[in-house]
Amino acid sequence: MIGYPRSRTVSEPYNIGKVAISSIRYYILLVVAYFKYILQYVFDKFVDYPWETKVAFLILVVCSTLIIIIWASLLVTSIREKRKHWLHHKMEQNYGKGMDYILSSEASELLSRAQIAHFFDLDVSVIGKSILNGKHEKAAFVDLFYTKFITQRSESSRMENIHKMLGMFEIPEFLEKEVSHGNMKRKVLALNKIRPFKLPLNTWVVNTLLNSRYLHVQRLAMYSTIMSSSDSSLEYFETDFFDKHCCIKDEIELAYSLQRRRKEGLKLPNLARWAHIQKNEKAQCMFVRLMRRFNEVEYCGQLTDLFGENKKKKLIEEIARTWGYLHYTECEDLLIEALLTQADDTKVAIMHAMTRLATGKSLDALLEGFANTTNPHVRYEALRCIYNYGAQGRKLFKKLESEATEADKKYFAFFNNPITLEKVRLDREQAYHPSVETVFNG
Amino acid sequence: MWLTLYYIFCYFVFCYSLMLMTSYITLVLMSRRAQKQLDVELPDDETIKYMLKGSPLTPAVSIIAPAFNEEVTIIDNVNSLLQIDYPDYEIIIVNDESTDRTMELLINEYSLVEVPYDIAMKVPSKPIKRVLKSTDEKYSKLIVVDKVHGGRKADGSNAGINVCSNKYFVCTDVDCIIEPMALYRMMWFVVNSHKPTIGVGATMLMSNGCVVENGRVVEAAVPGEALPMFQQLEYLRSFLIGKLGWSRINTLPNISGGFGLFDTDVAVKSGGYDPMSMAEDVDMLLRMVTYMRNNGLEYQVAQVPKVCCWTEGPSTLKSLSRQRTRWARGLFEIVSNHRKMFFNPHYGAIGALVLPYLFIFEFLAPFLEFIGFIFLIYFSFKGGINWSTSAIVFGMIYSFSFFMTSFVIFFDYGTKAVNWKHTKMSYLKLLLATLLEPFMYHPIITYCSNVGYWRFISNKTAIWAPIQRTGVKKK
Repeated sequence: MIGYPRSRTVSEPYNIGKVAISSIRYYILLVVAYFKYILQYVFDKFVDYPWETKVAFLILVVCSTLIIIIWASLLVTSIREKRKHWLHHKMEQNYGKGMDYILSSEASELLSRAQIAHFFDLDVSVIGKSILNGKHEKAAFVDLFYTKFITQRSESSRMENIHKMLGMFEIPEFLEKEVSHGNMKRKVLALNKIRPFKLPLNTWVVNTLLNSRYLHVQRLAMYSTIMSSSDSSLEYFETDFFDKHCCIKDEIELAYSLQRRRKEGLKLPNLARWAHIQKNEKAQCMFVRLMRRFNEVEYCGQLTDLFGENKKKKLIEEIARTWGYLHYTECEDLLIEALLTQADDTKVAIMHAMTRLATGKSLDALLEGFANTTNPHVRYEALRCIYNYGAQGRKLFKKLESEATEADKKYFAFFNNPITLEKVRLDREQAYHPSVETVFNG
Repeated sequence: MWLTLYYIFCYFVFCYSLMLMTSYITLVLMSRRAQKQLDVELPDDETIKYMLKGSPLTPAVSIIAPAFNEEVTIIDNVNSLLQIDYPDYEIIIVNDESTDRTMELLINEYSLVEVPYDIAMKVPSKPIKRVLKSTDEKYSKLIVVDKVHGGRKADGSNAGINVCSNKYFVCTDVDCIIEPMALYRMMWFVVNSHKPTIGVGATMLMSNGCVVENGRVVEAAVPGEALPMFQQLEYLRSFLIGKLGWSRINTLPNISGGFGLFDTDVAVKSGGYDPMSMAEDVDMLLRMVTYMRNNGLEYQVAQVPKVCCWTEGPSTLKSLSRQRTRWARGLFEIVSNHRKMFFNPHYGAIGALVLPYLFIFEFLAPFLEFIGFIFLIYFSFKGGINWSTSAIVFGMIYSFSFFMTSFVIFFDYGTKAVNWKHTKMSYLKLLLATLLEPFMYHPIITYCSNVGYWRFISNKTAIWAPIQRTGVKKK
């Protein structure tokens, strides 16, 4: 980590006579002077013409000027692009092999700086000195390494080696500088890279980012901090942090970060408590789902009072699902009671939870769910739950099938055909079960 | 009296042009802001894939592609759809009772068998005869719906909506070529949005100049033929300036029927596509917006320029005029059917700003241009035109048009907004198209639009004739 705050370099002011002004103001004055001249010219030249001619000519001149500016900018952009490509190519040639090695399974042991230098074809004497010249080379190096890191990193490669290597190339300092840069795009790009590399951020930088006026930056900073090994990073959720804003990506990011913490044996939060703290239903649902994902059976009981909040339908559905997945059998009476009172969509979630628990206690409730509704979706789902309810359920299903009316027969047809879409749906639901391995590697 | 009328018209048109230019400049600024936001919020492909591929939270998508008499290309196109890179999606091919071998080819190629299927007719469509799925595990994503002939794409799309089981669906044409990363990029917006996303639009580009290999565009370039080249320029301006600009203030009025993602639930509640409409894509989105507004629900409609879909544009004058006549007719339908939304602040900025813009600058423009053209011819012979002023006014319009194209090129090159090959030759072709467009292309479009309006007014039966396709280059 490096010291902060740093002073930013300010470009030299221009001297116009006695007044010193900044470069931007100088150019603004130039543009204003140019248009003043054009305006004067138009009014002198077209003095006898109607106003529309003057306006048309003025627009013509403005457009022509803008076209010239655009094409000049295009030229500059194209030169920049070429330089970027060249630098990328240079980095690949010079350090590509070394990067591949660091990310491969061969680098599963802790390496010394000298060894890393050797793999990068560098002399040992360069250790501690600047290897890359300037921010452009560093940016190209990070871009290349990031792409390789995401696409080809082996599970057995060591993060310590990666940190050591990045340190040798002064990348953490570079990324920290980028993160504190005024340009939002550069800030976000750097944050996106800090996260997978799990680089520790200076507290000063974190605080600045967390107070950023851009929600996107705030969130990225938060997830970067959670990704780091600091225990205090979990404190950010101890307040009603999500307020009105919560999206699916937040959940993906959180799941990803918590998965990493779990893998590394770091402190994990009480997600049920977080669900209580948040006011936003979406955020509450998110934490309940995460409980399911991380198999947090011990906190299931804490969700009972949230389940009683009848207004939040989605939350009730999520809690029911979580209880079902985590086999929290003590909730069964609550579920049976809720099946009588809740709306159709919620009923379906509750019925599925009952099927997962499959203690035998709720089979009658499922049968009631099937018989006491005219909603075809609920009827079908109830039947599916009975079908999946183990031996008892299958027996009841057969009985119902033999007694089915003509109109009900179509429901039963699904269960006898292996290639209906139902199979796909079931597979997808299964995907959220904690026992299923995900691609959250690293 | 004629001369007075002429002067009034001239001043009106001049002010109209100034207003139009101002609105274009505003759109340019808004699209620039939108692109800046996209630059920040849309990470690179690797990151998107890294985050979404492994997550069970990534929303599932149904791709709906209606097909009618597509025996020549159907297998290639389905294979192309099967190659899309996304963790959870299904492909629904809706056969609109093709009279050729489309269905037979599908059944043989993918070992399809009829399966029982719970179909609730949530949106209006002709009856579905059967649903088929493959017995081969590798085609488990594929669902083929065989339905009674409806004659319109909207009818087929509705049948697909009735069958689809996912929260989001993508509506496309079976002959469109979609990039492999398209769904990932679109879905990124859905997962990243704090408001419910009801629609995401993509950029449509001409496939006429592209080289295709295994159902994927391997070389994307500007078409060499004149008409597709003009259309490419028109599409780029429309998608990079118009649509992107409107999406900045969440007022996008249209998601292209060629490739767009929608929220299934909202689409169903809004009634799906209108099988009788000539502009079914605009119509459905406006109804979706109406539904959200009437129920006081928050929503977002986004435009992602980086998601590209290549479609074959009409390369003959006949097919182009047929397409544009239909579009003009569709626009008239929109103005007529959704008139209560126009200038209505209840519908927010879309009612108070975008639809009036659509009415004044898109709907009225061909009509005004037509009258202007008649005046020009009449007064050229009568000697009532000040040619030097006319030259300056023409120069103004021409330079403005050139500025807009230059901006699009700069925008595209600088931000890599559209995912295609950014070569000098492509840009030179676009510039050439800009220089020629006012003389060669624009008059055709104006003529077709007026014909379309006339057909709507005179209540002539609309015919949905497919565009004559010549196919894309294959490697």
